[in-house]
Amino acid sequence: MMNKKTSIAAAIAVALLASVPLFGSDVVVQFGIDALSMATLAQAWNLMGGFTGYPSFGNSVFYGLGAYGTAIAMTKFGMPFGVGLAAGVAAATSCAALVGLPILRLRGPYFAIATLGVNGAMAEIVSNLRIAGADVGLVLPLTRNDASFYELSLALLVFCTGCVAWAATSRFGMGLVAIREDEAAASTMGVNATLYKVAAFVLAAAFTAVAGGIHAYWSTFIDPASAFDSTLNVRMVIMCVFGGPGTVFGPVVGSFILSAIYEVLAAQISTAAALLFGVVIVVAVIFMPKGLADLVQQAPGVGWRYFVRNIRENGI
Amino acid sequence: MFPLNRKYLTTAAMAAGAILHAFAGARANDVVTLGASVQLTGSSANTGRYYKDAYQFAIDKIDAAGGVKVGGKTYKLALKILDNQSNVNLSVRQYVQLVSADKVDFLLGPFASNFALSDSSVSEKYRVPMVQGGGASSEIFTRGYNYVFGTLPAADDYFASTIDMLAKLGIKGKKVALVVADDSFDASVAKGTRQHLLDAGTTIAVDRTYRSGAADFSTILTEVKAADVDAILWSGHETEALNFIRQMQSLNVNPKSFYGFTVGVPTEDFRRALGKSADYAFGMTPWLPDAKLKDRWFGDAAAFAKDYQAKFGYAPDYHAASAIADVETFAIALERAGSLDPKAVRDAIAGVSFDSVYATVKYGTNGQIALPQVVVQVQGGKLVPVFTDHFVGKALFPIPAWDKRP
Repeated sequence: MMNKKTSIAAAIAVALLASVPLFGSDVVVQFGIDALSMATLAQAWNLMGGFTGYPSFGNSVFYGLGAYGTAIAMTKFGMPFGVGLAAGVAAATSCAALVGLPILRLRGPYFAIATLGVNGAMAEIVSNLRIAGADVGLVLPLTRNDASFYELSLALLVFCTGCVAWAATSRFGMGLVAIREDEAAASTMGVNATLYKVAAFVLAAAFTAVAGGIHAYWSTFIDPASAFDSTLNVRMVIMCVFGGPGTVFGPVVGSFILSAIYEVLAAQISTAAALLFGVVIVVAVIFMPKGLADLVQQAPGVGWRYFVRNIRENGI
Repeated sequence: MFPLNRKYLTTAAMAAGAILHAFAGARANDVVTLGASVQLTGSSANTGRYYKDAYQFAIDKIDAAGGVKVGGKTYKLALKILDNQSNVNLSVRQYVQLVSADKVDFLLGPFASNFALSDSSVSEKYRVPMVQGGGASSEIFTRGYNYVFGTLPAADDYFASTIDMLAKLGIKGKKVALVVADDSFDASVAKGTRQHLLDAGTTIAVDRTYRSGAADFSTILTEVKAADVDAILWSGHETEALNFIRQMQSLNVNPKSFYGFTVGVPTEDFRRALGKSADYAFGMTPWLPDAKLKDRWFGDAAAFAKDYQAKFGYAPDYHAASAIADVETFAIALERAGSLDPKAVRDAIAGVSFDSVYATVKYGTNGQIALPQVVVQVQGGKLVPVFTDHFVGKALFPIPAWDKRP
């Protein structure tokens, strides 16, 4: 999967991205932090939704737990940021394991529906916890170093993508794909489906939680509504599916492009931004349902017929 | 895996170009620019418009009167406003854009406490003063920030004057129900109100928090009815207040003497939507268009309200008046500071004291204004001010039961 050319291209891309704070304006850095962490969320979702075929609509719960774990450790116990992140990851991964064991037995829409409830329930629990600031939220100390938040977000994305790249070629990843294609057959062939699914879920939760923790420290304020934002789920799904679920670089490129489009729309024509963003997604799903990754691989050979074929296959 | 084809490159280049274009900005010589990112679209746009219109109105008025004299030189004020689409993350980015790329000189605030909480961290980070009239939550002012000032009174004390009035009407020893939404601002209100209620010697018989945006209050109302309380204190958002009152009526829930709301009651929409059912409801506002409030640029608050209505086609409320005070704070502080240096202006803001259409503007050491809420009541379809720290009008009290009204 990862041939030499791809590795070099990826390394150059990372080097370019890493140098952004050196010459980019503050606004670009600010946008970069958001875009990088959104890409991490899409990539983490990819593990479950793309490789394993279990579309989760509850990943934002891990984001929220990561944010709250970090915030509580830092503000209530005076811990450093690193310990806070670890606390967030611990909270999110244990939640993933606990929730994953029962609900990963559900398949298809039933799994999606079950995950939908988790986020709201957790927001409700947190808004009643005094240590989490209840409904008021938590205020974190202010730091004036956006460049390091940027580099941290980039490092997280690189690490997350590295893990996905490893998973794509490893026995673990093959197992996940086997589960996606036919879970019963995979089990028969000796894949421990439950273990694999829970492991993928926990891994996704860990990355999502770190992104949440970084966001909490960077934005200096979290409350249940912003930490457990259910629209975040929708965005990670859209970005991953737009880029190409089940591929290594698709979700990253997809989320960069969508983030940039959204940013431009928001800056230029704010009133219609949400509408136009919706149109972009509808068009993307109709013309390239398999995502950017598939488009880039297939379209150069067949040109516009690629889109026609997709529409035919969609049955429109 | 990604052979960079032309289509992809063009898209990326276009996106990057547009972003860079959007970020470019310049600063004119004799203009002081105030920047703000406000909810012009999305769920909070209805209140966001007050800020946009009032900011512009105040700036136009000050410029028409010759602008601001700063250290012997006269500057015009200008406004750079962005639409945050009721999205907190976007609003933070837009404030960074305002200070770093658009090079605005000073910042005005967004609407709502959760926005002000996040956005003011940008002003603190870049050490650019922000005067905001949209966030009242005490969390904004207890972080030890130096560059954020607020013209809405503390959320904790929203019910203070109401409870003061109830104490005079004999609430001591009575049972009270407290119903509040679960957002940051209303949680602040609840925290302060509980203390005020205990200090007034009442029992909090029902203390319920509901999810913001809830439309069904029947469970809470049944509980309130069963507890047979004397008064209901309610804090949330306007649409929810309308639903709450409608359901109170349909379930015939009658506190023995009183019900009051933090929001809704002062607005025209509220009275129009509820018709006769709006009668007797108590509410509060830090501001009424009173001719006694004198202002250097607008004359007085009554004249301001008339001009505002004529210009924008809707009546101003305290959000608009508070936004006017934000702009005027900068005008006064710039003259006092005699320089455009952010630190000097910040110190000048901390020391201002002037009369405006909104109130006498003066900031506490934490940066927040101290203002009493005027208790108001709907009486025969009209809004009547009733109580400040003494009675200023007649309260229709106790409120008659729904089925005993004419």
